[in-house]
Amino acid sequence: MSSPDSKPFFLWRHLNKLRWLSLSIVFLMLILIPFLHLYQTYIAAHAYDLLYPSEKVIYDSMETLTAPFISDPENDLDLLKGTTWSGRLFGLDLSDPLALAGQIAASGKLLWPFVLTALIPIGLTLLLGRFFCGWICPASFLYELNTTLGAWLRNIGLHTGQRRMSRKFKYLVLFVGLLLSPLLGSVAVAAIYPPAIVGREIYYAIALGGFGVGAVFFAATLLFDLLVARRGFCRYLCPGGALYSLLGKFRLLRIQRVVEDCNDCAKCNAVCEFGLDPLRDGFGMECNNCTACIAVCPTDALVFKVTPKDQPDRGPGHLGRQYRRAHNENAEDEHEP
Amino acid sequence: MKRRAFLGYAVAGTAASLLPLATADAAIQQGGQRYLRPPGAPKEDEFLDHCIRCGLCGQACPNRAIKFFGMENGTASLDTPYITPREQACILCMKCGDVCPTGAIPKIPRTAEDVMAKVDMGQARVDETLCLSYQGKTCGVCYRACPLQDIALRVGMLEQPHVSEACVGCGLCERSCIQIPQAIRIIPHHS
Repeated sequence: MSSPDSKPFFLWRHLNKLRWLSLSIVFLMLILIPFLHLYQTYIAAHAYDLLYPSEKVIYDSMETLTAPFISDPENDLDLLKGTTWSGRLFGLDLSDPLALAGQIAASGKLLWPFVLTALIPIGLTLLLGRFFCGWICPASFLYELNTTLGAWLRNIGLHTGQRRMSRKFKYLVLFVGLLLSPLLGSVAVAAIYPPAIVGREIYYAIALGGFGVGAVFFAATLLFDLLVARRGFCRYLCPGGALYSLLGKFRLLRIQRVVEDCNDCAKCNAVCEFGLDPLRDGFGMECNNCTACIAVCPTDALVFKVTPKDQPDRGPGHLGRQYRRAHNENAEDEHEP
Repeated sequence: MKRRAFLGYAVAGTAASLLPLATADAAIQQGGQRYLRPPGAPKEDEFLDHCIRCGLCGQACPNRAIKFFGMENGTASLDTPYITPREQACILCMKCGDVCPTGAIPKIPRTAEDVMAKVDMGQARVDETLCLSYQGKTCGVCYRACPLQDIALRVGMLEQPHVSEACVGCGLCERSCIQIPQAIRIIPHHS
């Protein structure tokens, strides 16, 4: 019944769990890095005996955590810094493509060392599409938990927002954000881009003693997702998502539906965080390869393909009632004469 | 659909009408608070359009001198790094420039010559009516705190401090001043 390429490697259906692992690791790193910075500052101050008991807890636990790997924490820990917006991952400087776009828009200049730090993310986005949104973004981590919270609230009978808007709106946000940057003389998109905000605010809360302005904005987006539109900010407003969608338009790695195996159950459409239409082959440039649809598909009809284009709508699934009925009618037509 | 389209136009219109307000706001509020930018940072305009608000400089600062603006210095300064020397001054370790991805804080080697040539956060100014040494009580704390002793800050009779042009504005003198309010303070050079 199933075609050969619908039998992929054995972890296939667990990719979504792997994605959650990736999201969790990124989020935990964003929490760990400020603590490591505090540890570095305590070392730099050479005053262990003068620390508060709570600071000693941080010092001791970070020392235990890092001692096996490094010899000179004050300098060696500089290799792990920053956030997903821009940071240093074990010595490799990486920056968000939106940071680069915003910075170029604001200053009108290409700062080459900075451009180089964004090349790896841009290259990966060209190949994998909007994967950042599903696999790395620390705001996605919170937004997906927020979606789950919304589902619980519906279960106990409360209403949550299920409004649909135009997905094109986020391209307008990106365009206006980049356009405003030179006028404001600052990187305007940095203030409304949730992953940048989450990274910053975690650092502010841990190392600087409290949340900043961005936390208010982020809380508002959480409420927007809950009360107005499910995953509304990512779907309709996020300037970063817009940029990745544009970069990933001709991505090579795509999820596709194997029409022969599909039974039209529509679980994929229900689970899709970005409100796409896998059931009718409607992935488009906004699919972030998150694999949630693969995980729920009961017939393994969704698979990864290496191809630069989506397939056109191949009609109802061959295991579904609609196709079988049409098919049987045809068969009867053939038999009758 | 029509209502949605209308809402879209309404949001876009509001954003457009707020734009001049936001820029004017930034222009008015600059200079409202005395702060320093991290060492080596260029003039305010250039700094603001180079900085991507990643917060790496703060995460690299071993002295936790670098803090970040909320809305108090205008929207253009949101989440940008600053130093209030009286609270925590710059120790001129130059780590912030090392981690800055855009070069908004340039990379400067940690030598006295390079620091003096390329860092100009501000310049110290002594208020002789407040300074203990000028009141006949020998103090000299600022002189001892200065990383460029005898170059940026010299002392004369009764340890009276004299600031020279070589001062880079790190603020360690202001941090250490035992007078309240401080008798020596950094006049910022960022704008």
